[in-house]
Amino acid sequence: MKISQHSLWTLFFVSPILIADPFEDSDLDLNALMEMDVQVTSAMKRAQSAFDTASSIYVLSKEQISKSGANSVPEALKMVPGLIVRQLDNNQWAISSRGVASRFSSKLLVMIDGQSLYTPKFAAVYWESLNVPLYDIERIEVIRGQGGLLWGSNANNGVINIITKNSIDTRGGYVNATTGSQLNLDANLRYGGDISNIGSYRVYGHIKNSNASKKGIFLTPSDTAKQHSFGIRADFTPNDEWSGLFQGDVTKSELGQNYRGVIDDTNVNMSFSGDVERTDSRIMARLENRMSPDANQMLQLSWFRQDGNQEFINENFESIDIDYQMNFIYESLQLDWGLSYRYSKISFDDSLFLESDKDLDNLQQFGGLIQAQYNIIPDTLDFIIGTKFDHNDLTGWENQPSARLVYKPLENHLVWSAVSRSVRTPTLIEFNDDYKVDGTTVLEALGTSTGVKAIDEYTIATYLNGNDKVDSENYVSYELGYRFNDDYWSVDFSAFHTDAENIAVISSNTNPAQFLPALGLFQAGLFQQAAQALTSTRIDLDVVSVGETTTDGFDVVLAWQIMDKLSTELGYSYTKITYDLPSGTVPTIGFDSTNRQIFTKVNYSLEDHNIFATLRVENSDAYVSDNYTTLDLTWNYQITPTWSTAFSGKNLFAGSHIEYANTSETYTLPNYIDESISFSITANF
Amino acid sequence: MLKLRCFLHSAILVLVLLVSTNSFAVEKEYMLKAGFLYNFARFSQWQNPLDENTNFTLCSPDKNFVDIADTALNNRTVKGLPLVNKYITLDASSIKQCNMIFITSDTFEDWIKTELLIHKNILVVGENDEFIESSGHIRFFLSSGKIRFEIAPQNLKSDGITMSSKVLRLARVVGG
Repeated sequence: MKISQHSLWTLFFVSPILIADPFEDSDLDLNALMEMDVQVTSAMKRAQSAFDTASSIYVLSKEQISKSGANSVPEALKMVPGLIVRQLDNNQWAISSRGVASRFSSKLLVMIDGQSLYTPKFAAVYWESLNVPLYDIERIEVIRGQGGLLWGSNANNGVINIITKNSIDTRGGYVNATTGSQLNLDANLRYGGDISNIGSYRVYGHIKNSNASKKGIFLTPSDTAKQHSFGIRADFTPNDEWSGLFQGDVTKSELGQNYRGVIDDTNVNMSFSGDVERTDSRIMARLENRMSPDANQMLQLSWFRQDGNQEFINENFESIDIDYQMNFIYESLQLDWGLSYRYSKISFDDSLFLESDKDLDNLQQFGGLIQAQYNIIPDTLDFIIGTKFDHNDLTGWENQPSARLVYKPLENHLVWSAVSRSVRTPTLIEFNDDYKVDGTTVLEALGTSTGVKAIDEYTIATYLNGNDKVDSENYVSYELGYRFNDDYWSVDFSAFHTDAENIAVISSNTNPAQFLPALGLFQAGLFQQAAQALTSTRIDLDVVSVGETTTDGFDVVLAWQIMDKLSTELGYSYTKITYDLPSGTVPTIGFDSTNRQIFTKVNYSLEDHNIFATLRVENSDAYVSDNYTTLDLTWNYQITPTWSTAFSGKNLFAGSHIEYANTSETYTLPNYIDESISFSITANF
Repeated sequence: MLKLRCFLHSAILVLVLLVSTNSFAVEKEYMLKAGFLYNFARFSQWQNPLDENTNFTLCSPDKNFVDIADTALNNRTVKGLPLVNKYITLDASSIKQCNMIFITSDTFEDWIKTELLIHKNILVVGENDEFIESSGHIRFFLSSGKIRFEIAPQNLKSDGITMSSKVLRLARVVGG
């Protein structure tokens, strides 16, 4: 029995077709043909053939997304082996790879159709207000590690590129409603059609209303969500040489949240419950030109705006991106080059616990990239060299070179290796802002008791100060990978070693002279006055670029098509991160830790029924939480060609558990994550 | 002056690189299109049964395409008949031997001249803008680097062919 390669989880690769060879059965499937690119040059900001990509890449297919029962992009990302996806509460997520995931610093570049969602305020994205209709996602490409030269800046730990479907493939109607123990209602509506003979469009809307968690760490959970989204995409193809794309999305969110901040003279972190109102808007327009079958160019304009309001923080962020990229092949050489410009406008109202000491309200970044791929031995050995160089307002010019080798000793076997350097430019929190953090008691500061309780317990105001002496973090990665792929099996292995320097850490910069008056009063036995004198003191913690880290690890993913209707995927990921810090400094995010993940997926179809399961065993000491095992299980039933239902259980086995408890992290206050069930009904017409 | 000359040489070199098309790229596009044609054949119904034939014949007046299709669709069958790719000239007697014809952009001008030829019971596929208006049934076009197609059901019907809804669902349906 020969089993189609196409059903092999789509191999977590978009498998290449071999020119001058007959078609495999699987590649002759009409749907498979429609997914293949005509161009032999790889499309920019997209991995054309993941099998041939010289980086650790995983492609999450639309089939997996639709069968998984996921209701949001972060839930879908739980299906990516090696990706750290930890839930802080029912709205907030910490997602990264090959490093420590954090709500505010995951050093991961996230894009929708090549449009960056990176905010310069901090090195992460607001997952809770990100709306991408899952049913219109073509695939999600995840690059673990810094293989994202062509993708953009700040992709130190990885790249997540969400690629949505061309609207020509989403003509017709789609209605879906989900309800469950945690989710009151998640409803989607989409309609698409032709625009004369030159294009197509779709419009969609989404509403969501969800409950709070059952149990919090310090406070009763308040992580409810009310969300409304509206979006549009239109594609134009006036002829074979030119195509255009326009898309936009507006999402309004009201999110309940527990959080912490220092708001009064006690100088102590207080816990609060409150609502965050967020409006996220994005527009993107792209023009693509096929100059010849082996040369193409692309111009993309993007606008992105985020407004967030809550009791103590009001923030507005706006960015405009202009990207031009071109690639062509000449004989054995493929050349990719591009130019980019980004303008960001940031408005962050000073609050009781956050103030900016420089008037940085906009940032500009511009630069270019060039990459050459030379086919040294036809169909066997490729050498890729390139660099991305750009200028930013905070640290000036940055250069990010990489060199890669791809070797195919035999058909279906591929070995790749890479050496690359990437930088992470400082965030504004590190460069510009002063953040009032949980205060330091005299006892903690001195390390010994003064013998006077009132003085020992006095909490000194403590500030975390960003400053303009912060450098870019500098990462050098060495990677080695191997892939094998046949009709029944595929293996994807990658190992890495990353040395990083100039890592932002925290160092005390407190002026000791300010304590002399209090000390004098204390020595004179005037304890009450000494305590009073302490109220005019402060402890200053500066962000300094003196840390070093070493990260080692590997990912292995094995896909096995057991029988025609049953396929599985097994994965194991290991990451060990070690900090090397000068004495007197502590890390900003993370600490010495080891992350292990065991991963299993099963996909079984029987006529109109399908069972899809993802089991993850998370073992890590990076998140101050117990290890846990979760199972997400979905039964899909196609009732008629139009109607289908799904019944899902999520976070099964784990019970009520904490996934992320780095409560030393300022602001964040997680909740226990619950098991949940949901039921959905869908119509496609 | 020397610098200017160097710049001009470089610019000319880049232009030459851009306009020169390597055969590898063209092959890939036609290989994929051959795959689509195979699917069109599988999912079409001919009013006149094909059983009388000994082969299913895919014709093209473009020798280059026929060579690519020979490789891509090697040992394939359509409705139980061996698939044969045939290089033809556009004349009445040659066309009669075909169950399906693919008109490439290089041969479109010749096709227009043969517009009045009877192609009843022959599935006619092309890739030029005016192909449907030239009594074609299916036309390939590219959208963001991927192959898509439009179908004129009326043209198909008048030539005695019906297309499965599986294919129609993926197509842009146009008038003849």
